[in-house]
Amino acid sequence: MMNPTIELNGLEVQLGGRTILHGLTGVLKSRAIGLLGPNGAGKSTLINTLLGFHSPSKGSARILGLNSHTNGKALRSLVGYMPENDAFISKMSGVRFVRYMAEISGLPPDQAMERAHEAFVYVGLGEARYRPVGTYSLGMKQLAKLAQAIAHGPKVLILDEPTNGMDPPARKRLIELIREIREANDICLLLSSHLLRDVEETCDEVLILRNGQIASICNLVEERRANRKFLELETVGAEATFTATLEGLGCECAVFTNGRIKVVMPDNVEIREVFKVAADRGVQIRRMNHRRDSLEDIFLNAMEQTGAADGRI
Amino acid sequence: MAVYKRKYTPYTGPLTPEWSRFFVLTRYALADLFKSRFFVLLLILSLVPCLFFAGYIFIANNKTLQLLLPTGPADMFSVEARFFTIVMIVQTQAAFLLNCWVGPVLIAGDLTNGALPLFLSRPFGRADYVLGKLAVLGLLLSAVTCVPCLLLFTLQAGLAKDGWIWSHLWMVVPIVLCSAIWILMLSLISLAVSAWVKLRIVATGVIFIAFFVPSGLGEMFNAIMGTIWGRLLNFSYLFHIILASGFREQSRLLGSMGWNEIPVPAAWGMLIFVCLLSLVILNARLRARETVRG
Repeated sequence: MMNPTIELNGLEVQLGGRTILHGLTGVLKSRAIGLLGPNGAGKSTLINTLLGFHSPSKGSARILGLNSHTNGKALRSLVGYMPENDAFISKMSGVRFVRYMAEISGLPPDQAMERAHEAFVYVGLGEARYRPVGTYSLGMKQLAKLAQAIAHGPKVLILDEPTNGMDPPARKRLIELIREIREANDICLLLSSHLLRDVEETCDEVLILRNGQIASICNLVEERRANRKFLELETVGAEATFTATLEGLGCECAVFTNGRIKVVMPDNVEIREVFKVAADRGVQIRRMNHRRDSLEDIFLNAMEQTGAADGRI
Repeated sequence: MAVYKRKYTPYTGPLTPEWSRFFVLTRYALADLFKSRFFVLLLILSLVPCLFFAGYIFIANNKTLQLLLPTGPADMFSVEARFFTIVMIVQTQAAFLLNCWVGPVLIAGDLTNGALPLFLSRPFGRADYVLGKLAVLGLLLSAVTCVPCLLLFTLQAGLAKDGWIWSHLWMVVPIVLCSAIWILMLSLISLAVSAWVKLRIVATGVIFIAFFVPSGLGEMFNAIMGTIWGRLLNFSYLFHIILASGFREQSRLLGSMGWNEIPVPAAWGMLIFVCLLSLVILNARLRARETVRG
């Protein structure tokens, strides 16, 4: 059986005498996990703990079954990490910097050189690879950080606020790259971001933190699938027979005033059958909406919930 | 895969052994250092005294040449423990100057732009990091202390007759041991300074201060308290004591200078303590993430 991507078991982390993470417990199985939360929620502390930079005061954190504290070196051999803050050696050329990092990850010098060039071309900095990293713009530095994170071919890619300081086209390009990396390879992704859209576009599952506790773990794939089966209709015509026929197909219907109907469809019923029933019953469908419970709604709901005080869902 | 194929592929090739990865840091640091002409000049200048010492050994072993020289008695050219003590003193001072130029940039460059988390997020610990940086200074300072000294020893052994090497082989031990403690202490102090001070010129100043101010304070302490133990803060003096003791020269070299008061074990203990203190300072600074207490 495959290990979960991230497994938190009563994880508590204290820094400088303060408890930052309060007994986090949860299992995240998706290959692309988003980490959300307001400032000070503990996102970066969780990432640092997963990387073994901080030791848990209680409990444990595992990535792909490896304990971050006791198997730190083995775990870090699987990881590519793109930190939130500036992280580069300013006088080195971009490609030499990435080669250096790849060699430290264990690649032989010639392989590291080849991979560094590939990574630079891949992230779109091919033309700038011989320039010192210190002369790069903020967006280019972000891409250079991504290049060093992927050059050694990690199994887990941890990206901390990857789109910070990027203009919209650069952000779009970076999100596309992250999606390409995720979709093209057997690689797990943990992405922390303030931008809900970044997470929504790249992740399958989100872990929402608030005040060092888990506010919610939400599987976006299932949420999207559920949303597709929830319709809001505005109709004109014989509502009663229309809803009765739909219920006969296995749908659940709730009728409101002015011809508004909410329909929850079972898996075996497609939307075209709703149109067919409407046509048969002489009902006009003036408006049809899928419920779109966006990540923003999920995030705001999680922030409003009060029942997560013990750090569990 | 060719670089023009813009597609990410996982790496499936061989990996280097984990124990050897610290040397990547050393290799890159040395490559960067040798790009600096000033550094190369400094390294060459550090080795110039060895040429004179080699010339001295050549003359000492060439009676014909000695007769041609307008000098005093022939026995002024003697290559014994005292000669190697002087070689070591000269070369360790050269090593100190070299260390003041090289040491301050080794860690500061990584810390200035937050590169340390990138090293430590790999299968690479803080001990590997320190070892890699320490190896840079270890190799360079060895190249101007024990290596030339051992080469001079070999030269003398080759030129001298009558089994000189067997009667003087014991000198290899003080050459290696004294160089080792001096190199270790210099390297750790400059790495500790480099971890805390980002500007090279300031860091170089701090290294000088770390060597010369404590010795001044120690002498003040001696004058006020009427004791000799203040000299424990004079690292050069402690090294000279160890060196003289190693070459069995303390009574001749230091006694005449009134410098033989501190016991040799105390000198060793103090230098080892300085090394440990530097390691503690390094340990406090070399963190992937800083924690603010409060």
